[in-house]
Amino acid sequence: MSTKVVNELNQEVKGVSLWMDAWRRLRKNKMAMGGLVVMIIYAVISLSAGLLPIYSYKQQVLEHQYLPPSTRPAGELLIEKKVELLSAFAAKEGRELNAVELEEIEELKERIATETKVLLTGEEVKVHERVYYLGTDELGRDLLARIIYGGQVSIMIGLIGALASMIIGVVLGALSGYIGGAFDSLLMRFVDIMYSLPYMLLVIIMMSMFGKNIMNLFFALAIVSWLTVCRVVRGQIISLKNAEFVEAARASGAGTWRIVLRHLIPNTMSVIVVYTTLRVPSFIMLEAFLSFLGLGVQAPYASWGVLIHDGVYAMTTYPWMLWFPAIVMTLFLFSMNFFGDGLRDALDPQSKNKL
Amino acid sequence: MSKFIIRRALGLIPTMLIIITVCFFLIRVAPGGPFSSEKKIPPQIMKNIEAKYHLDEPLVMQYGRYVVNVIRGDLGPSYKYKDYDVNYYIGEGLPKSLLLGTLSILLALILGMAAGMFSALRQNTWVDYTWMSFAVVGISVPTFVLGPILMFIFSINLKWLPVAGWLDEYGVAALVLPVVTLFYQYFATIARLSRASFLEAIRSDYVRTAKAKGLKTSYIMMKHVLKGASLPVVSYLGPAFSGIITGSIVVEQIFRVPGLGRHFVQSAFNRDYTMIMGTVIVYSLILVIMNFLVDVLYGYLDPRISYS
Amino acid sequence: MSDVILRVDDLKTYFNTDDGIVKAVDGVSFELKKGEMLGIVGESGSGKSVTNLSLMKLIPSPPGKIMNGTAMFDGENIFDMSDEEIRKLRGNRIGMIFQDPMTSLNPFLRISTQMIETIVLHQKLEKDAARNRAVEMLEMVGIPNPEKRINDYPHQFSGGMRQRVMIAMALSCDPEILIADEPTSALDVTIQAQIIEVIQELSRKLNTAVIMITHDLGVVAGICDTVCVMYAGRIVEKGTNDEIFKDPKHPYTQGLIKSVPRLDQPSKERLFSIDGQPPNVIDLPECCPFHPRCDKAMAKCKNTYPPLTTFGEGREVRCWLYEEDK
Repeated sequence: MSTKVVNELNQEVKGVSLWMDAWRRLRKNKMAMGGLVVMIIYAVISLSAGLLPIYSYKQQVLEHQYLPPSTRPAGELLIEKKVELLSAFAAKEGRELNAVELEEIEELKERIATETKVLLTGEEVKVHERVYYLGTDELGRDLLARIIYGGQVSIMIGLIGALASMIIGVVLGALSGYIGGAFDSLLMRFVDIMYSLPYMLLVIIMMSMFGKNIMNLFFALAIVSWLTVCRVVRGQIISLKNAEFVEAARASGAGTWRIVLRHLIPNTMSVIVVYTTLRVPSFIMLEAFLSFLGLGVQAPYASWGVLIHDGVYAMTTYPWMLWFPAIVMTLFLFSMNFFGDGLRDALDPQSKNKL
Repeated sequence: MSKFIIRRALGLIPTMLIIITVCFFLIRVAPGGPFSSEKKIPPQIMKNIEAKYHLDEPLVMQYGRYVVNVIRGDLGPSYKYKDYDVNYYIGEGLPKSLLLGTLSILLALILGMAAGMFSALRQNTWVDYTWMSFAVVGISVPTFVLGPILMFIFSINLKWLPVAGWLDEYGVAALVLPVVTLFYQYFATIARLSRASFLEAIRSDYVRTAKAKGLKTSYIMMKHVLKGASLPVVSYLGPAFSGIITGSIVVEQIFRVPGLGRHFVQSAFNRDYTMIMGTVIVYSLILVIMNFLVDVLYGYLDPRISYS
Repeated sequence: MSDVILRVDDLKTYFNTDDGIVKAVDGVSFELKKGEMLGIVGESGSGKSVTNLSLMKLIPSPPGKIMNGTAMFDGENIFDMSDEEIRKLRGNRIGMIFQDPMTSLNPFLRISTQMIETIVLHQKLEKDAARNRAVEMLEMVGIPNPEKRINDYPHQFSGGMRQRVMIAMALSCDPEILIADEPTSALDVTIQAQIIEVIQELSRKLNTAVIMITHDLGVVAGICDTVCVMYAGRIVEKGTNDEIFKDPKHPYTQGLIKSVPRLDQPSKERLFSIDGQPPNVIDLPECCPFHPRCDKAMAKCKNTYPPLTTFGEGREVRCWLYEEDK
């Protein structure tokens, strides 16, 4: 819109739609916008993982285990390793490399130049020409690919978990708040008891009882995580139910559904959106937590939690296996938290008229 | 007030009963549990379990027995290790976990409130920015990332602190990394929370009144602001306790602390159901008592809470 | 004139916001005499509260800042005082009560604590003596059973009673000036009259000068000696109670008086109202800010702010209508 609306004193009059206003404030928040950009980058990479020129996350090349991050092909690194090893050996005995050893190195060079391997995809490639920018793990799998595909799993769990808990929570919370009475008090009593259980323990029990796979993980996380949304929405609905504008709507003859759809839901929307956004990183953390304990995503799938778990065991000698997944995951959590905070500030009507 | 406390305390009993009940039946329906016959169980242990739970009796009787046993403080035999019962593991692990958890929550509370207060008083200055950057890092870096990284830096590279182990081997040094790892996230949350609530209280009408009466800022902070501003922190303590328990599981895993959390994870892997059940009951009991104390504290701080 | 205890001259208080500079108070001057009751009337956002918060240096800063002006109190400029000095004024020589008695008392502390701390601080009394003084004040403002009620928390009082407590607290150190910032706006109509009565009675008894800030002309009409009408951060008309109500000069004042419902009004006649909205005080252009709503507006009003026209002692108007006459 290029035409400015002005009042009698030639002052600009701004539109005050909640979402427009929020967006205007969000855009001013540099940290939140930075977070949004990072999130978009992660999303694009995750979605297009299949199209990117990266290796398979489950392709094992045992000979390539624990290769450090490098821009050179794996073969070169292998030769270097061999030379280093033999030289160290020779130096210990106080001599130069002997003929047998030189021969051995030549053989390796020969083999690396020609050897091929049939990959899981069925194609046959010169396997030692592979480049591992972020190094490899104990089974010679490409860490870069594992981080990207692991991110796919982690982000998906975060999104689906947050959405599922939001839907369950919103539906139950709205019903509880709107209907009230025995249903409300029963549900709230149940929520109270669930609250007094350390819910991670419940998830751990369920994972150990029903088997460790992704579906059970979703199920377990969804079951324990709708409580807070439910409470928040219920509280909102109850306070709004008695709000004057709802009474006005009722007085002018609007039906129950109309009131819920046109008045209550839009008015609780901002709380729900903010809460769901802030839930995504906490779900990612939950999954990573379980995977870290070995109770989450199972091989050959990876998630950031699994990678960090593996990294911890290897960090003494192969620190990159910890650092890269840790940095990638933390950066994402950072961005999501910044974005969520910014969103909350932008949508918080109380801050609107603050001088 | 005392009436309120007694009534709240009595309310803990049904909650615990429900938790025990849920645990008992969850484990009966679990596939491959100690009470289903499909899985091979060492005969010695099977005998122990049968003796303990009278498996030939109807389920209701078994349930009754279990509840009575738990109330008497007997959590039954381990399903995995024939020579030990659950009480032994809990007695061995719980004090270590309690020490770790208590230290962490106290540090988080004291440092977090202080950081929040100073940030609010010096809003938008470098003091504020420094503390809040610390806090944002704490919220975004999960325990299981922070722990290994600290260990990598301070134990493996700098060799200042032991890699893993407990008091008996390394003394107080063994506590440093586990406590820092565990407390950081809660420190961060409490700092942000108390900054916001201090800011709100500082801008409140009643503080304006206090200023209009000519009171000194330091006096206003201690007498007028502190009480109101600590309320949100107090109500966060409940979830914090729960989080500390979960966090201690990870921390004990990373730093090989032989606490309750490590036993718990171990038993989850072993499907040692009686052990799982016992640990969950102990954890829940701690949590329920803590929540009760938080309620009492809240009621003490906020005169508007009615006890009727 | 030695009986003037407060003289405010060209006070300007601005707020820095994201949208621009808000000139909340833009050149306000007035005088307050000993024992006088001064009314400041205006719509919300006209700058009347900011004027008086500025006098106590209670403007939240940042974003607020006192840009210019002096406030001479007992021979000293308040704006030049150190924090230490101004604290000795607050609550001691200048008392203040606020609009919302629900939030202005600390909900976590007993009334006794809140009252005694002020008395102990300024009167240098022992706790017991301060307590007696507090009970005495509570009795004076009409709180029944004050010895007992003083131990209650604010939420145990009704709105009107809380405002009485506020008044008792503000007057407990026998101040020379009481600033009452919309003391009745948050209260029920039936309670309003009682509170006004308490303020009027006590200020006479203790010979306290009162600045009564309100958006309700009705409150001012009955009790104030002098009235200032504020619009968009400036005083547009000033005069005695009689002058303002019997002979309003500024079209805004005229509109305000016409829009007060009257019992002797013919029932068929519609209640008068001023059209339009009060202006946004951000980046206000050079003009009379009232001109869009004024039915007597002239071309001149749209591009220059009207100067001050005086009609004898203390009678002032800012409107081009009266510049024409001269």
